[in-house]
Amino acid sequence: MSAQPTPPTDAAPAKTSFRTGLAMSIPLVLGYFPIAFSFGVAATRAGLSTAEALLFSVVIFAGAAQFLALALVAGGAPLIISALTLIVMNLRHVMYGPTLMEKAGTNASTRYAWLWGWCLTDEVFATTLGALARGTRFSERFVGGVGIGAYLSWIAGTGLGAVTGEGALDAFPIVDAGLSFMLPALFLALLLSILNRTQLPAVVVAVGATIVGTLAFSPTLGIIAGMVVGALAGTIRKRRVLP
Amino acid sequence: MRPELILLAVAVGLATWVFRFVPTKLPLSRAGADGPLQRFLAATGPAAIATLFTASVLPMIAPEIGKDLPLILGTLAVLAVYAMRPSVVLPTLAGAVAFGLATYLFG
Repeated sequence: MSAQPTPPTDAAPAKTSFRTGLAMSIPLVLGYFPIAFSFGVAATRAGLSTAEALLFSVVIFAGAAQFLALALVAGGAPLIISALTLIVMNLRHVMYGPTLMEKAGTNASTRYAWLWGWCLTDEVFATTLGALARGTRFSERFVGGVGIGAYLSWIAGTGLGAVTGEGALDAFPIVDAGLSFMLPALFLALLLSILNRTQLPAVVVAVGATIVGTLAFSPTLGIIAGMVVGALAGTIRKRRVLP
Repeated sequence: MRPELILLAVAVGLATWVFRFVPTKLPLSRAGADGPLQRFLAATGPAAIATLFTASVLPMIAPEIGKDLPLILGTLAVLAVYAMRPSVVLPTLAGAVAFGLATYLFG
């Protein structure tokens, strides 16, 4: 951690093309695929057809909500209750757009935000924000590249999981285990890449609020508490002591 | 394909898309002043990523002593590789490889 983050070697400031975004999505592709695969397996176990599992991944594209949807569907929850529960769960996404645009600058275009916004998951947001924080110039094509890589990986993983079922990675236990740590590793690397002394209180408070919220209530509330309370902690400024 | 599942997917997908897309158009993200809102938005990113890391790691923490070794080694690998080469891709891959190997050897 430092006050002035060192420019990374894999984020050239001038390259903000779709292809650059696609390359930036590689850790996401590797991290999403096994999770989506697990979702495909879980969906067929819950009684969904391959087409229904794919429908969830294509139309919702929100991992945690999709897994919860399976539990709700399998448990026979009423449609309206299921829908409201899942919608509330995804409410945290409202913070991502403004945060990205604040980092992108006042002249950043949002002409195609209706399109790349579709792919603005937790991980796509974190990857894009990390790139912007490290000096990559914002472009809608860049965000689209990150998003489409993640989206296609999610759909492909779901389809393969639903078709082949579990056990496909049994012959590759190291790969199987390693892929399960891909997203935590990605989040940690992203956090390191954007961390500075100014934001340290927000990070520490976010971690604490997430742990407390998760243990005391639920993982979903833990995530919301971490983001909101952490961001609020970041708004507090130390008062300067005048001589 | 069951109609109720289609309805559920469309309702949730549409709401999620609105949550992701509409706020990008709100003027609050373009306010230039260094006010509380700007500081809130600036802090949201690090807070969100720290939250997601914590939330993704919490289920991996095992109650038994020694079972956390893959998690510890995976995390250390990310930190070590980042210290040597401050990028995102390599530390991520190094963490996953260390976690996978440690799980296979000690898990």
